[in-house]
Amino acid sequence: MSQWLEQVIDNAQNVSDFLSPARDAALSELKLQGWPGRRTESWRFTPLSSVEKRVVVENKDVTTASAPVIENLEVIDIVFSNGQLITDTASLALPKGVSICQFKDADADQQAAISSLYGKVKPQKHTFGLVNDALAENGVFIDVAAGASIEPVMRISNLSSQPCDAHTRLIVRLGDGARATVMEFGEGSCESLTTAFAEYSIGYKAHLEHYRFAMFTGKAKQVGGSHFKLSELASLNSTLVGYGSELSRLDVDIWHAGEFANAKMNAIYLLAENELFDLHSCIEHAVPNGTTEENARGIIGDGAKAVFNGRIHIHRDAQKTLAELNNRNLLLSRRGIINTKPELEIYADDVKCAHGATVAEIDDTALYYLLTRGISRSRALVMLNFGFVQELVAQIPKTAIADWLLPKLSKRFAEMEVK
Amino acid sequence: MLKISNLHANVEDKAIIKGLNLAVNPGEVHAIMGPNGAGKSTLGYVLSGRDGYEVSGGEVTMNGKDLLDMDVEVRAREGLFLAFQYPVEIPGVSNMEFMKESVNAIREERGESPLTAAEFLKKAKEACKQVQLPLDFLKRGVNEGFSGGEKKRNEIMQMILLEPSLCILDESDSGLDVDALQVVADGVNSQRDGKRSFIVVTHYQRLLDYIKPDFVHILADGKIVKSGDASLALEVEKSGYAFLGKQYEEAEA
Repeated sequence: MSQWLEQVIDNAQNVSDFLSPARDAALSELKLQGWPGRRTESWRFTPLSSVEKRVVVENKDVTTASAPVIENLEVIDIVFSNGQLITDTASLALPKGVSICQFKDADADQQAAISSLYGKVKPQKHTFGLVNDALAENGVFIDVAAGASIEPVMRISNLSSQPCDAHTRLIVRLGDGARATVMEFGEGSCESLTTAFAEYSIGYKAHLEHYRFAMFTGKAKQVGGSHFKLSELASLNSTLVGYGSELSRLDVDIWHAGEFANAKMNAIYLLAENELFDLHSCIEHAVPNGTTEENARGIIGDGAKAVFNGRIHIHRDAQKTLAELNNRNLLLSRRGIINTKPELEIYADDVKCAHGATVAEIDDTALYYLLTRGISRSRALVMLNFGFVQELVAQIPKTAIADWLLPKLSKRFAEMEVK
Repeated sequence: MLKISNLHANVEDKAIIKGLNLAVNPGEVHAIMGPNGAGKSTLGYVLSGRDGYEVSGGEVTMNGKDLLDMDVEVRAREGLFLAFQYPVEIPGVSNMEFMKESVNAIREERGESPLTAAEFLKKAKEACKQVQLPLDFLKRGVNEGFSGGEKKRNEIMQMILLEPSLCILDESDSGLDVDALQVVADGVNSQRDGKRSFIVVTHYQRLLDYIKPDFVHILADGKIVKSGDASLALEVEKSGYAFLGKQYEEAEA
């Protein structure tokens, strides 16, 4: 057992609210599972040594912070700063059809709704998810009524500026036929540890447009997850962007619980020198006639390490499933590492599935050719190697988000050194 | 313009250029001929600054500045242009985007404002026409799926757009039929303005019927072993490189 986890378990005794039954269950599970080591398959390539001996630093202070402005985009902002919710959710101006409350303010109906989803969409296998179950007092519930179509983007930011532990939670429910866009955004570079987990229940024929931008860098450690349950004919369009840091890990679970649901997920990771980013995704096709398309593409800088594990699990009854998974990587140096593992586990016999993974290096000859034409090295590298990332940015449904993201990513890429 | 003094260069620790001297003045056209393995292409790569082509001695100045001290892209912005013997295919980057980037990089160096998309398109269309490439070549990936002749014409188109002061043409005639050769030569000749200089590297005399050189040099075993006027090329055409004697045999071996 790790020193940090022992402290976490101690501290969890002090948390008491309407979620206590779920928190207690998570704690028992956590004690049972113990600390994941090198022999734990899901953590094989991502060492947890920096967390293992960490001393828990709790933060109760409220520090102001704001998430970046995205031009030409209407946003409803909810901000956690160093783990504390600093947005007064009660005074948010909201369009008709959506309600947003923090856990502490939830009325009886909202408490019942939160409890029915809390730890129920997210699988029990995620150690840090269980930690979050036990500790996340700061949580927000977004409830989109059946049939409602919410235009503004609801953005939930986790901003860290202090070297503390932060555990925040998001629960989102989309009623039947509802449409909404939710963005999870995270940023920080100090010696913090953030666990931010989100659970989404997407109702019959509902559509969720989802973004998760995990832009923690430097010393900021983050382990988080986004977990989705799709009802019949529901659809999900998700775009993930990950930077690397000392430890940066995202788990995504997509659960096809109703037939004819459609999930599309594009993930981009851009790792600068010596950073680590780990994306584990797991798609559960529990019922027939679901479709999934997942593209994960990354660029890995000198001495950096990326881990991609993409699992598609097609259950025995999930006939007529269509699932595609693709992972492409570019290494900028011989000292960059990618551990990629697409996993298909198929128990049904009438399905169409494809998966692939590629790893490429910089093409020196093409680079030289562009240089001889006076093009700068950084620009040439972007022209040659950024296209496959740009393609995914171009698929982002909201142009304003793509327009904001692309220069950010190309700047980060241009600053990486090729060795 | 360009002054090469006692240049020595290695590729993978093997000496290829072994004491080469050459001076090119503004407006001059110098042809460099020589047998295979003499170091003709290596010279172009060394002058343009390709990785892996290591200068082990001597110096090269361009307009009085130390060329060897400059990065590849800086040499290009100083006005050096290398037309490749084997132009590189770059799928995913359009010919248009590529040339616009490079033209604007060079304009920036000269203190000129970047061309707008419309201004560039106009220039590019003219250049395309001049080298007789269909306009849709601008939209295609750089050299992607181009025939040998189309690639060479694409190189000349870049030269026309970039307006360099020194052009090195590395076997721009190889693999061309007579018509394509005429197009390439016309492109080059159109750029002769009394100030722009050319180094035309070729294996055969044929190209020099179309591009009239002021000087012809024979490169063998890493050195210029003979220089003369255009008549030297005709001599080579007639009797081969036999006059190089033993030296040539070494180079071939």
